[in-house]
Formats: sequence, structure tokens, C-alpha cells
Amino acid sequence: MELPLAVAIGLLFAGGIYSILRPNLIRMVIGFGLLSNAVNLLMIVCGGFSLRNAAPFVSDPNAVAGLMDPIPPDIVLTAIVISFAVGALFLIICYVVYRDYGTDNPEELPIPVADDETFTPRRRPRRLTYED
Amino acid sequence: MNSIILVILVPFFTAIGLALLRDRPRLEKALSFASGAGLTMYVFWLLHHVDTQGIQVSMIGGYLAPYGIAFVADRLACIMLCLSMSVGTVVLAYTCFTVTERQQGHFFFPFFHVLLLGVNWSFITGDLFNLFVAYEVMLIGSYGSMMVGATRQQVRQTMMYVALNLVGGALFVVGVALVYALAGTLNMADLAARTAALSGPRAAMLTAASMVLLLVFTLKAATFPVFFWLPDSYPVVPAGVNGYFAGLLTKVGVYSLLRVFVMVFRQEGHGLATEILLVLSGFTMLLGVLGALCQWEMRRILSWHIISQVGYMVMGIGLAADSRIAPAAVAATIFYVVHHIIVKSSLFLVAGVAEKVTGKTRLKEMGGVITLAPAVASLFLVAALSLAGMPPFSGFLAKFVVLRAGLDGHRFGIVLVAVVTSFLTLVSMMKIWAYAFWGAPRRAAADSGWQAPAAATAVLVVATVVLGLGAQPFMRLAADAADEIVTPTAYVRAVLGETPRTLAARGGKALFP
Repeated sequence: MELPLAVAIGLLFAGGIYSILRPNLIRMVIGFGLLSNAVNLLMIVCGGFSLRNAAPFVSDPNAVAGLMDPIPPDIVLTAIVISFAVGALFLIICYVVYRDYGTDNPEELPIPVADDETFTPRRRPRRLTYED
Repeated sequence: MNSIILVILVPFFTAIGLALLRDRPRLEKALSFASGAGLTMYVFWLLHHVDTQGIQVSMIGGYLAPYGIAFVADRLACIMLCLSMSVGTVVLAYTCFTVTERQQGHFFFPFFHVLLLGVNWSFITGDLFNLFVAYEVMLIGSYGSMMVGATRQQVRQTMMYVALNLVGGALFVVGVALVYALAGTLNMADLAARTAALSGPRAAMLTAASMVLLLVFTLKAATFPVFFWLPDSYPVVPAGVNGYFAGLLTKVGVYSLLRVFVMVFRQEGHGLATEILLVLSGFTMLLGVLGALCQWEMRRILSWHIISQVGYMVMGIGLAADSRIAPAAVAATIFYVVHHIIVKSSLFLVAGVAEKVTGKTRLKEMGGVITLAPAVASLFLVAALSLAGMPPFSGFLAKFVVLRAGLDGHRFGIVLVAVVTSFLTLVSMMKIWAYAFWGAPRRAAADSGWQAPAAATAVLVVATVVLGLGAQPFMRLAADAADEIVTPTAYVRAVLGETPRTLAARGGKALFP
């Protein structure tokens, strides 16, 4: 099972890194989603992912071959929770930046301090209300 | 189980309690400070206890190592905990006087306690994956602390900081996964014991996997070439909590480098990481101080100095490649960390007070603090001279021990860079002194309310003098802590027991025979 998973991980990493490097805040958020999934899959593969359907509790130490190590799924579960929470926070921060600066392109943001105080957005985005 | 878990539980429950007390600002301040001060007393007791009784281990849920979650308090962890909590308590006292109503309404104190929780957790954990979780908790606390007040600049810099740390976090899990696949364990004591026994291609692959972790930790410690995020993000942090950021957050990276690359991966034939660190440290020192020289904002200059100073600590770790001088070099790094955390935090706190006195943040607009508030100027002078390495303050001794380790190891190039950096540090400190503190004041009187935060800062400034004049017991402690991590036999025995249990065949072995 390693080869298809390795290809999937590679694609996810490539897509994630490409999206993060795009000059667009929403693509950055999506890129981080892809990247964290790539990392989680990598962790699963490192635990020796197998299709053998049995729990890894056996009395004979030689019978564990082909069984999946139970620790990587635990780690992945924790990592998913963390990346979900931080991803949600990041999405909100990106929205607030868009609201305050009127652009979703990080390259259009003013240079810190030098012209940040005098910067006025070219267009003010309409504030979302509860009716939207 | 023993009491060391308190260093995590106390900030955790304090943060929750404070979040519920949002409508009672005075009670919130009092509780916040009381929790910090109480825990500070506990960690100093813990340091004494560990120093006399040996390493304390707490296994959560009673699972035996290497299976369960281990919390380990050795001397190094306790030294870091003492620094974290004492600087944290001073910052809490400081912010009780400086925090605005708006900032407090944005859950300033709960976020600060989450930050303390994450930092303490990363010092006390005995397991690589837990270190990742501690990093994330610490980062959540720092995102919150950075954004209180929610000005446009703050949110924008926080976005950059979050983006960078999301990449860092993803890389951390990649590193953890690769190490697990190769070594079959994440418990640091078990890893240290196993890497010693590894050889051949597997050892080389483990070195390759450890490079991912090296990138993550250097990113956190802000060394060359991944320091660019620091000088932009630190100046937007509110003045008081900035002292804690400056003192502790990059040092968590340095601590992780010490723990992982000196204790776990520093074996014969694994010297690649330390060699890389030695080269990086030279660039870090020099570029950091050159960056500081061309800035015109007080806290931005100090932020660049953090980078430059991290170079000295990383230099000590880099020198540990040579096993003859490894204990001395690591002891020098630990002493430098102690000195740096105290001095850097006090400089940032003084900068906050000076901004309050003059009402400005740019050097050319400040001027005349020495007339408006002479006490603040003298606090800055002591801390700045200590940072630049003037005797009799702690900075002189800290630089002296690092440079002596470099000379003993015959690494003359890096020693030369360190000396030049030290002179340039003095130059840029003189720049702050000349523009912000000397000169005619630009206003009739200082804003009121600077005395109380200045008094809180004075505690840290006195500490740097004490550390400089009475260095002997601190040097002894640093040397003992260094011995403990350079030859981790006592650590391994404390965690794994007298007869180490080894893991049975693991999935990782099937993947990399």
C-alpha cells in the first residue's frame, strides 16, 4: 500500500505548497489544509499502514508483522485537531486583513510601519452583515 | 505521578478561570498575578529539589516509558521553568499597570496564561510529539497575545506569523513521522539510547530526518536564514507581553535544539547538525546586529538584537560537536540563555516604559528620557551595557564563557565574528541611548503612570547585576545541567528505569528493514 499513498502524499504536498505560494489569502488557507493532510498521511504510512484487518494486540511478538502500529493514528488524531483549530483561526485572520486593507493579495499590502499608517485601501469591501 | 504536572495544570486552570472573570477586571488582574507568583515559588522549589534529589519523572496515567506520555524535570528543564515563570510574573505585574481596558476585554490575561502553559509544557515534556503539541499551544497563546487591541497592523503581522508557524508545524510533524519510522519511538530518553546503538545507512537516514527538525527549531529560534519573521512581528506586540515574547519564545527554540541535538542526536558520526549550527550561528550574529544598526525604532532595534544574541547561544551548541569541549560549550550556552532571557526581557520592558514616558515609538521623535525620568534611563543603561557584554554585568561573563569554549575548540573564525558582533551591539545600544535618552525633552513632563511598570522592570535589572557579580552558583548549576544532557545516562535511567524496556517489533521496522 506504500506506493499509492506515497504518490498521494507527494501530490498533496505539491498542491499545498503551490497554493501557499499563490498571492491570494484564500488559496493560502486552502494550501495549509492540503499540507496538513499530506503530513497526516505521511504519519500513517510511517506507522506501517496495512490492509490486514486485525487489532495489534497479540501475545506472540512474531505475529505482529503486517499489523498497523497503533501510535501513529493517535498522533494523527491530535494533529488533525490542532490543524483544524489553527486553520479556522487563520481563516478569520485572513478575513480581517481583507476587511481592513481592502485586498486579498498579500503583495498589495503596504510595507510594515514605513507606509502602513498612511495606507488607505483602494476599495473598501462591503462589510458582511448577519442578513448576508 | 508527582507534582511536576502542576507547571502545566496551574496556567491551564488559571486561563479558564480568567476567561470566566471577564466582567471583573480588578479581580482578574489579582488572580492572574497570584497564580503566576505562586507557580514561580513552586518552580524554584522544584529546581532545588531536582538539584538535590535527582531527575523527577511523571508518567501520565501510569503507563511505563517508553509507551506513555512522560514529563521529565531535569536541571535544564527546571532552570528554564524558573526563567519562564519569573519573567512571566514580572510581566504580569507590569501589564497589570499598563494594560488598557480594550486589551483586557480581548482576553489579554487568559491568552497570556495559555502562552505560559505552552512554554512550560515544552520545557517539561520528554517526548518529541508532545513537544509539537506544546509548540502549538504556545503559538495559540502567542497569536492571541499579539492580537489584543486588534489594530490593523497587529492583525496583518499576526497573519504572517500564523502562516509561517503553520508551515513550521507541518514540517515538525514530518520530522516526527520520519524519526518514528526510523527509530520506532518518540520518547526522548529511548531515542537517546537507541541512536547511540544505530549505525550504517539507518543512522545516516536518521541524520537526514533530524535535518527537518533542525529547520523547525531554527525557525523557532530565529537563526539565519529563517529569522526574517521576527523583526516585523515583535514590535506590534503590546509593550508588556513583548518582554515575555522577547525573552522566552525564541529561547524555546534554543532549548529544543539543546534537548534534541545535544542530548538525543549528538552521537559519534551524527555531528552534521552541530557543524551546520556553528556556521549558521556566525551569520545569525553578524546579520542580526547589522540589521539592528539600520533601524530607527526602539523595539525594532531590540528585536534585531534578539536574532544576533541567539547566534551566541547557537554557537555554544555548534561547539558541542567536539566531545572534548562539549560540556563546557553547552554549559556556556545555558548560562548565556539565563543571562539573555533576563536582560532581553528587561530591555523590552524598559523600551515600553520609555515609550510611555515620551509618548513616541520612533527614536528621532523620542529624546530626553534622562531628564523626564532619570530612573528609567539608568535601568536602560544597566541592561544595555549588560547586553553588549560590559563587566561587571552578566553579559560579560556569558560572552566570556562562550568565547573561551570557542578558543578551547580552536574555532578562531567564529570567535572573531562574536567579538566583532559584540562591538557592533555596543554601537547600536549607544544609538538608542543618544537618541531616546539624551537630548532635550520634546515635551514638558512625562505621561503619568510609568513608575509602577518601571519598578516591575527593576526586579529583572537587579537580577542581571546579581547574576554578574555572584555568578559562581549559577555557573555550577549550568555546568551540572550541561553534564546531564551531554551524557544522558542519568536521564535515560530516570525515564526508562534500571533495566530499560525496549519496544517490540514496530511498523517502522517493516518499512525500513
